[in-house]
Amino acid sequence: MSDQATDFLKQYQTWAQQSWDTWMQSLQAPSPHPFQPFQRTASSPADDLLGRALGGLKSYADWLQAAATSGIVGQGQGDWQQSLRQLFTGGSQPFAQAFAGIDNASAQGFAQQWQAWLQAVQPNGFGVPPHGFGDLPGMGDIPAFGYTRERQMQQQMLADAMREYAETSARYQSLILRANAQGFEQLQEKLSKHMEPGRQVESLKALYDLWVDAAEEAYAEIALSDEFREAYGAMVNAQMRVRKLQQEQLEALCRELGMPTRSEVSALGKRVQELRREMRATTTAPAANDEVSALRAELAALKRKLASRSEPATVATKKVVSAPMDVDATRVRKSASARRATTTAPVRGAPRKRK
Amino acid sequence: MFTPLRIDPAKVLGEITAFQRKLAAGMESLRGLHEPEYANTPREAIYREDKLTVWHFKGTGKPTSKTPLLIVYALVNTVWMTDLQADRSLVRNLLEQGEDVYLIDWGYPDGADRWLTLDDYINGYLDRCVDVVRQRHGLDAVNLLGICQGGAFSLCYTALHPEKVKNLITMVTPVDFQTPDNMLSHWVQDLDADMFVDTLGNIPAELMNWVYLTLKPVRLNQQKYVSLVDIFDNRKELENFLRMERWIFDSPDQAGEAFREFIKDFYQGNKLVKGSLTIGGKPVDLGMVTQPVLNIFAEQDHLVPPDASRALGKHVGTTDYTQLAFKGGHIGIYVSSRAQREVPPAIHQWLRSRD
Repeated sequence: MSDQATDFLKQYQTWAQQSWDTWMQSLQAPSPHPFQPFQRTASSPADDLLGRALGGLKSYADWLQAAATSGIVGQGQGDWQQSLRQLFTGGSQPFAQAFAGIDNASAQGFAQQWQAWLQAVQPNGFGVPPHGFGDLPGMGDIPAFGYTRERQMQQQMLADAMREYAETSARYQSLILRANAQGFEQLQEKLSKHMEPGRQVESLKALYDLWVDAAEEAYAEIALSDEFREAYGAMVNAQMRVRKLQQEQLEALCRELGMPTRSEVSALGKRVQELRREMRATTTAPAANDEVSALRAELAALKRKLASRSEPATVATKKVVSAPMDVDATRVRKSASARRATTTAPVRGAPRKRK
Repeated sequence: MFTPLRIDPAKVLGEITAFQRKLAAGMESLRGLHEPEYANTPREAIYREDKLTVWHFKGTGKPTSKTPLLIVYALVNTVWMTDLQADRSLVRNLLEQGEDVYLIDWGYPDGADRWLTLDDYINGYLDRCVDVVRQRHGLDAVNLLGICQGGAFSLCYTALHPEKVKNLITMVTPVDFQTPDNMLSHWVQDLDADMFVDTLGNIPAELMNWVYLTLKPVRLNQQKYVSLVDIFDNRKELENFLRMERWIFDSPDQAGEAFREFIKDFYQGNKLVKGSLTIGGKPVDLGMVTQPVLNIFAEQDHLVPPDASRALGKHVGTTDYTQLAFKGGHIGIYVSSRAQREVPPAIHQWLRSRD
């Protein structure tokens, strides 16, 4: 490429960055329109969320600029393969950025929660080191003893869990990096089918799209491997262990402060749900309904018997004639009512029968 | 010798300039947009219980079908994929075909729903919803249309309550949860589901979304937003895009216990096809599904691979089994132009011949 073109591209890069910054600021400015994500002020915590939401676009913009000044553009092209490798596997390669966007969103939440926990427990004598447990190598090897034995053990378990999480997370990340490397190899393979005139790749977007196909294929291959399955499960399980231990310590703190804990609330919720099930089973069980119906019938018969003893025989005869019908009708009505109870008991506003 | 890249510097400058220009124009386009509405086909709530609502949809004409159709959606994501926008609405198209359409909207579970089990969902909520619709129409049995996880629920329900289901339609429904290409299943095989749920309680929607994004990280987290630039100047397309984003990310948390059971019994145990599944202590035997079954799946489904759905034919007891392969993906089966043309008429014709 000519020097003039190179100079232009450098100036262009500066302009493009300014354009992006302006774009982001404009989006973040207060808007009279109620589309929430773009309504936040520039100083709000939502800046980061918006940045992440548009991270994919920004990654591509960065990649475009890097590609424009790389050796893949122009007729000479020199060692275009080396330039291509640098473009897709170097520092600003788009695969890592694509993954970073979503990984950071998850990991950041975890890290923030971790920091918040540290701040919460430090003033209360839990003896958490200032930089967390990560800087306590081998702490788990020291046997706990003395008055604070139980707390020491809790902290040792937490430190071990954090170390395990760091290890499993690193293992997972190494597989992501491997997927990227293999994606580049697959891109080269795909490009080898574009050697002939007329089939060559002529735009950066076309190159990017080809790379996306290659990257996803390579990723899918690794993501379906046994190694990935084990690493993924280990990472998630390790993070859950950290969170669980963290929750236990927080609960201990809450109990000291006389606050209700999540375990207590959860236990109450479980009991309520069990009671709801029992209640529903009682009211809807056919056996229970039959028993209730039988008792009602028996009660009605007894009432009729009592009534017949205190009334003239002629009237009693009528009553006897009509009684079975009444009982029957009652039973039918009760059954229907019971059926409705099983089907519509919780209805707010009973459903209307279609005419 | 030719290289696969023939990227002209002048064209690159034009490409980048065009990208930046579209990006800048996009700022204005986005600022003027309100949050996109769903199709909101006229509907009436006929039953409410806890967080769920059963909606009855109103078409422009009277239904011609004798038997109502109850749609059972998945617990993940909201039900509005079935009524996304006026020209991409499964519900609206079914109404136009003459179906009488009901839909179970599960709502957004919170801490109070932490202990809901699959028994509560299937033998509880779903059974009562079916009873309400049966009662409204004075029928012994209704037609069920189960979607994705809701399809698995519908299969279990039909096996457990065969007398209440006249015809069963399953859409993009996993049946064999351990086909080799099922990435989601692969990832959860080593997951400690008990610790996962014991730690998190209800499973946050954001975490679920993270998992879905990592199935195709570059395509879903980067390339999709790069393509957004090409529709910035098309207000209608931009609204469609934002509506889909709303649907993807405005999703409910998962009730902890039901999630635990679903992971352990369906994904890890694959009990639905092994015949060892029990719901509420009752065995779920797909051989009990003897009513006509229409099984629709998507050939490019990355969430529920076609083979996971195809397996149904081998396990149901019916002699009237129809399979429909749709050329598209898990979402395209509802929103693509092809889907509007092919899926609702296929469902209606199949039902009509069995009404």
